[in-house]
Amino acid sequence: MRYAVLFWEYIKNYAKTRLTYRADFWIEVASDLLFQFVNLIFILVVFQHTPSLGGWSELEVVFVYGFFMIPYGLFSTFFGIWNFSERYIVKGEMDRVLTRPAHSLFQVLFENIDPPSMVGSIVGAGIMAYCWTQMGLPFHLTDLLLMLVLVVGATLIYGGLYTALNAVSFYSDAPTGIVPLMYNIQNYGRYPVNIYNKLIRFVLTWLLPFAFVGVIPASYFLEKKSDDLSQLALLTPVMGLIVFGLGLAFWNHGVKKYRGAGS
Amino acid sequence: MLAIDVKDLRKDFRVQKNREGLSGALKDLFKREYREVRAVKDISFQIPQGEICGYIGENGAGKSTTIKMLTGILVPTAGSLKVNGYVPYKDREKFVNGIGVVFGQRSQLWWDIGVIESFQLLRKVYRVSEQDFKKRLDNLVERLQLGDLLNRPVRKLSLGQRMRCELVASLLHNPSILFLDEPTIGLDIVVKTEIRDFLMQMNKEEGTTILLTTHDLQDIEALCSRVIMLDDGQIIYDGGLDELKTRWSKGREIQFQFAAQMKLARLQELTQGLAVDWSMENEVTAKLFVPHEVSVSEAMARVVSGADIRDIKIFETNTDEIVRGIYQSGSADIAKKEVASS
Repeated sequence: MRYAVLFWEYIKNYAKTRLTYRADFWIEVASDLLFQFVNLIFILVVFQHTPSLGGWSELEVVFVYGFFMIPYGLFSTFFGIWNFSERYIVKGEMDRVLTRPAHSLFQVLFENIDPPSMVGSIVGAGIMAYCWTQMGLPFHLTDLLLMLVLVVGATLIYGGLYTALNAVSFYSDAPTGIVPLMYNIQNYGRYPVNIYNKLIRFVLTWLLPFAFVGVIPASYFLEKKSDDLSQLALLTPVMGLIVFGLGLAFWNHGVKKYRGAGS
Repeated sequence: MLAIDVKDLRKDFRVQKNREGLSGALKDLFKREYREVRAVKDISFQIPQGEICGYIGENGAGKSTTIKMLTGILVPTAGSLKVNGYVPYKDREKFVNGIGVVFGQRSQLWWDIGVIESFQLLRKVYRVSEQDFKKRLDNLVERLQLGDLLNRPVRKLSLGQRMRCELVASLLHNPSILFLDEPTIGLDIVVKTEIRDFLMQMNKEEGTTILLTTHDLQDIEALCSRVIMLDDGQIIYDGGLDELKTRWSKGREIQFQFAAQMKLARLQELTQGLAVDWSMENEVTAKLFVPHEVSVSEAMARVVSGADIRDIKIFETNTDEIVRGIYQSGSADIAKKEVASS
């Protein structure tokens, strides 16, 4: 509750800052969407050459992509601390954060909140709805509720992984190159994981569970496949809590190792 | 009650050794070598409530590291510390409610929005009630004369204006201890004086304990009843400012203006047998340096009896010079011995 109040305050401040730079806001939205659009084109091009990918039709893969965009948009909104290592560790802004009576991670997240990314979620939901009707899938109201649970779970997985990743900066002297690496790996989770070999599949499901952000929860709404990923779908919120819990624990431990910058 | 209680506090940093040249860099890539640097070496001190204490020392002496440990930012390597009844790094979120922190080189205000908006956000972070906030803010704004600045964005403020706003930001939740890390750095003399007066008044009226680090010794002279001097991670002096002066000032200087031209040789002759030093300012003026071992009255008596004097001035060595002396001459070692023997 207290953090909800704080969140709202930070949002207000964000709005005040950003409304002075309106053009900036729209440029960010546009570039975000363009980026997603290029990825989508890539999927469409692949399906120009093959009718199905590991037993998944074009519409299904696009559906998965649409689903993925929702937690990804939420993640970018709430966990978009791309410059954490440089701004907070190297420049020492963490000092200020640590002298305030609120959890350090939440302060950092709130300071970097990025609502324009939410537009991606809305577009993703649109893509999903389009595919849903095109495939003629049955629709129940409970699906919406379940969707909400799965999206929150998927967002927490993403958030947990990136929290842990950023917490690495507390331990390491220099900013590391892990974030871009991770950024590449995450892309694999948007496609049906059964097209990869066993090892990659295992990694994407259990170690860096990016499969739980896209293909696994999305498959719950699709026709059953032979290898049936949808069985795992309901584990998404559980995975979300576990991964975020671990990420938070790693962060809390890392804060104690914080060394500050210069004088 | 003690506001700050520090015992055998120590902080080690692990620093990566960078080897020279390209081959060194390549070696570093595969096998890094680390070196332990002890920034704070088992220091102990206690500060009672309501005291203003100055914390001085050269750059890199360990001042900021100590402050960061006291404010809960860094976790000490060893030793115990208690601030305001809390162990800072353990109950950080509860503990920081009772302290205010200003880092002179770093802003805690939001850059792009009006100052008042930053204050409002801090009010929520510190859970100050609207009523208390308003009372407190009005009071601070009046005392620091911020009235018309409140709606301006921080990036449009001058350094002096910003620093006064920083002070307000750190005091909105009415902390009982205030930590200031170089609060007057880069400020003009008017703002410096204003800030000093404000701190002094706050300490008197509200009993706020203040610990400040500074390189400006006038801050210390104006504010502090007590000084802790740090060198190379160790405390080399802890006590009153006057005592610091008497202990480390080497003597005093007396300037004589004579009625007629005076020769250096003649003056030296007058004070023969005393370990004093003469220097001529001009033909009729000379300066006499009298170390503490030599009695001033005797030196004066000799000169007065032997020459016709128009004017006499006595100069106390100023604090800047004393402290510079301590920093420079590596006399920290001597000082340590003195502390040990006293």
